[in-house]
Amino acid sequence: MLSSSAGRLALSGSAAPGPGVDQREALAERADSRAPVVEVRSVLRRFGRTIALNDVSLDLAAGEIHALLGPNGAGKTTLLRILTGLVHPNAGTARVMGFDAVASPRALRQRLGLVPSGDRSFYLRISGLENLVFFARLYGMRRRAAVARSNEVLEEVGLLEAARTRVGLYSHGMQKRLAVARALLPHPAVLVLDEPTHDLDPRAARAIRELVRELASCGAAAIWATQRIEEIRGFADTVTLLHRGEVRFNGGVPDLLAHSIPRRYLLRVRNGSFSGRPAEAALNTALAGVGTIADAGESSEHYLLQLQHGVILGDALKRLTEATFQILTCSEERSELEEAFLALTPEGSQ
Amino acid sequence: MSTFVEPLPSRLAVLVEDLRKLPAFLRRDFLVALSYRTAFISDALGLFFGAFIFYFVGLMVDPTKIPTYGDTRATYMEFVAIGLALGVFLQIGLGRVAAVMNREQLMGTLESLVVTPTATATIQIGSVVYDLIYIPIRTALFLLAIDVGFGLHFQADGILPAAVMLLFFIPFVWGLGLAAAGAMLTFRRGAGAFGLGIGFLTLGSGAYFPLELLPGWVQDVSVVNPITVAIEGMRETLIGGVGWSGVATDLLVLAPLSLFSLVAGVFIFRLAQWRERRQGTLGLY
Repeated sequence: MLSSSAGRLALSGSAAPGPGVDQREALAERADSRAPVVEVRSVLRRFGRTIALNDVSLDLAAGEIHALLGPNGAGKTTLLRILTGLVHPNAGTARVMGFDAVASPRALRQRLGLVPSGDRSFYLRISGLENLVFFARLYGMRRRAAVARSNEVLEEVGLLEAARTRVGLYSHGMQKRLAVARALLPHPAVLVLDEPTHDLDPRAARAIRELVRELASCGAAAIWATQRIEEIRGFADTVTLLHRGEVRFNGGVPDLLAHSIPRRYLLRVRNGSFSGRPAEAALNTALAGVGTIADAGESSEHYLLQLQHGVILGDALKRLTEATFQILTCSEERSELEEAFLALTPEGSQ
Repeated sequence: MSTFVEPLPSRLAVLVEDLRKLPAFLRRDFLVALSYRTAFISDALGLFFGAFIFYFVGLMVDPTKIPTYGDTRATYMEFVAIGLALGVFLQIGLGRVAAVMNREQLMGTLESLVVTPTATATIQIGSVVYDLIYIPIRTALFLLAIDVGFGLHFQADGILPAAVMLLFFIPFVWGLGLAAAGAMLTFRRGAGAFGLGIGFLTLGSGAYFPLELLPGWVQDVSVVNPITVAIEGMRETLIGGVGWSGVATDLLVLAPLSLFSLVAGVFIFRLAQWRERRQGTLGLY
């Protein structure tokens, strides 16, 4: 039963179970406005002498997926906890749909769904359905409505077949999907997801992202905390990069890429018409003005190509092939996003 | 931003909404308890083994040392059965109330609970609703089983006053439990000191031995010890059959003590919770 359900999600891949009709209608109303649904202003949070967040601000519009990116200890979870009213800021404000996280936490929580980072956030001795019904009732639903809504969200995340199975028997991936289902219970205007895919296999992770993307397309805003930077490409609309509690970057993903250092590629190159190893000097001559190349040290045919700013890979490869070198393989040594991430969060920087 | 803001519900509406959530807690805890069938059976067996031990202890006790209730001289088994029942009631009740938030912390569910639009007080109350129903029933069944099994002579017309006495005793247990829960939220393992205090109060309550056998200063404290008041009141009515008039004074003494315990417990728990939110450690263990 469990495996078939898990398989269903895995197979659903590009067609991940999506939000129900009610959810779509509720969210569509919100999507009409471009006013921010999440507003964080100059938030400061200290834990003893440690400053966990310093002057952090961000806005989030309906239908927007905002990635909260940062290494361990950057302050991502603290910011999410402030946003959900679990932690009070020392200064600044956090609002969801106009409701202040400190002054009106109840109204705020009615409009917010949280997917916590931990694995254990359910009662393991009772079924997934009973867990959801319980939480649905805490959102104010009567029992009948709670059961109906729970079945609805279970279907959305592809867990309907495992609805009556004890959560203790669920896999990590299933528990995470159940956590997403729980977050969907109140038709949230804002989804807060704290590293929701960190322990999922790539297919399950993709399915969760697609589900969130679909909810966003219906008008829900999502804050997605992650340290897996590759996850945000093609998924997040905007990014806030946190480092040691400070905002190092806030903007779109393409803007983040602008912070990347010149890209490096690992090439496997052979002399086209001559036998033997290409001379490094000859390669650099061919690349003059577009980049530099150096021995990668892995084997006699591997070289590291570093492009100059504004140069695209195709131009460099064209230069090499015109100079009669044979390019056997070419792979990005490190992603542009990762480069940007590392450039903005240097080790030892304060 | 202002276009999104909806009017906040009134306090009464919030209270009514939260009260409607209590059956959900009851169902959750019932289902969880149902999943631990073996624990349920061993719990009942443990109680009866305890009763057996006291039965044999009772055979060695000089009956003249046992106090008289009404015109009835109690047997040691009758005397201790009520003390034992109320002592276990206190221990379990206190343990459950105190451990509610701690249990949620350990299970990792506390954060998920408190991010729902539910008052923490509702979560606290909701999480003990099952125990508030189950433990008195368990206590009553225990007394009934002992009454039948060991041939005791509890007065049938004393059952209602005894039940009311138990009802008045519940806020005392609840208040202590909340205070202990506050200590556990703050110190994570702060229940030890509470256990010590409760152990002392129970020992000095005359639950297992006649108060006359205890040191004078313990007897002095017992006058305002709610456990003593409740146990003695229940003995008066169940063994002595003194009826309402006999327990009225006990109820009058117990009521303010219970109320104080509850108010103090709520205050301590809220203080601990406020501190946790300030420190950002609520949900962590």
